[in-house]
Amino acid sequence: MRIGASILLINGYCYQSYGWNKFRPLGKLQNVIDSLEEYQSDEIAIIRPIRENDSLKKFKNDIDTIAKLNCMTPLSFGGGLRTKENIEMLHNLPIERLIFSSPFIEEDYETIEYAIKLYGRQAIQCLLPFKLTKKSIEIFSSSQNSYISYTNINFDKIDKFTNEIILFDTINEGIKNTFDNKVFDILNINSNKLIISGGIGKDTINYAKKKNIASVIIENRVLHNEYSIKEYKNAK
Amino acid sequence: MTVDILDAGSGNIKSIQNWIERLYIPTTIIKKPTEIKSKFLVVPGVGSVGPYMDKLKKKSFDKAIQDHINNGGRLLGICLGFQIMGAYSEEDGGVEGLGLILGHTAKLGNNVSHNGWEKFFINKDKLNTQSFNSTMRLTKRKNIKGRVFYNHEYGFISKDKKIFNQSISSNLNSYSSMIIKENIIGIQFHPEKSQQTGLDLMSMIL
Repeated sequence: MRIGASILLINGYCYQSYGWNKFRPLGKLQNVIDSLEEYQSDEIAIIRPIRENDSLKKFKNDIDTIAKLNCMTPLSFGGGLRTKENIEMLHNLPIERLIFSSPFIEEDYETIEYAIKLYGRQAIQCLLPFKLTKKSIEIFSSSQNSYISYTNINFDKIDKFTNEIILFDTINEGIKNTFDNKVFDILNINSNKLIISGGIGKDTINYAKKKNIASVIIENRVLHNEYSIKEYKNAK
Repeated sequence: MTVDILDAGSGNIKSIQNWIERLYIPTTIIKKPTEIKSKFLVVPGVGSVGPYMDKLKKKSFDKAIQDHINNGGRLLGICLGFQIMGAYSEEDGGVEGLGLILGHTAKLGNNVSHNGWEKFFINKDKLNTQSFNSTMRLTKRKNIKGRVFYNHEYGFISKDKKIFNQSISSNLNSYSSMIIKENIIGIQFHPEKSQQTGLDLMSMIL
């Protein structure tokens, strides 16, 4: 199982977030990447936590920041990948994988197929930010800035077009060992192509190992509490 | 010496450039066949084989790669850049390759996807069993032992028993992790994203 880390990128700077809505600045992207690389993070996901108010200008600014990165760890990038124009702007960046959310929620498969054509299916990841309610699961739609029922999501299409699926627990983000495992009672996703994030701790990692989950992405709390990725890798 | 990096219009060119330049070796991004000057050409690849081969052919890079090898140049293909070296690939309904190595690219068995890190070991003498000898002597190390990163759904199956051919793992032993045939190296994993092992390997190759 891979153990990686996520970084939130807003206007060229990194942030740590709690509960999907509170942000704490971390500094420059290259500095954060250097630290994670030193920890031998297996992969790094750079996510722009944008809502409905994204613009091409903001997107381009963040792309310019990523273009300057010097990194020898596998990078995935997402947040605002909603059009062919967005995807074309990624050419020549030091990233290997693309993270899509809105196109899957809105069933814009033309954009996804275009990304597959340019990057290959092995590069496509789907991000599903979720929260568990008493009755069901709700998925956060960034473009609508609201949660919708998981029954509105076409999981067959997601399975067809993606290499891996990231389940991100928005409520428990930033609090260790709180990832809500009950999500698996409702969602039936092949664990071999599943990545979990939000509320990750050693207990979560042990659970994920037993469940043969492909990867665990630790939210950037790792940078503040000085938990090393190595320590997590050896979690018992 | 500089290293030429072929830019066919897709892929993580910047990662390849960062990787090589960390060894203090200058690089040139090649956008036209006539720009190939170095004796060492890297063909990177992140993408789907159909559109990638179309771009190569449209820009006449297919012929340029062949000419580079025929003129004694060394060639390093990475991931998709390696998979196109065979006769054909099963991806995108079947696409003809460059035919540089006896073999072809097939979907990984049981419809699996291979994403993650695997152990890696190579001895410098293996490089020298073919004619791909390093010329820059950036390292005196004889062995490289570490881990390398894979991200693929298709893999190369070599049919040439005379070349150096290392399999990915015991689970994926039909598929090549690395092949060396005379002045050609093909690598399925991403050395540019394999941290220290990737740097050590390039030091040995160059």
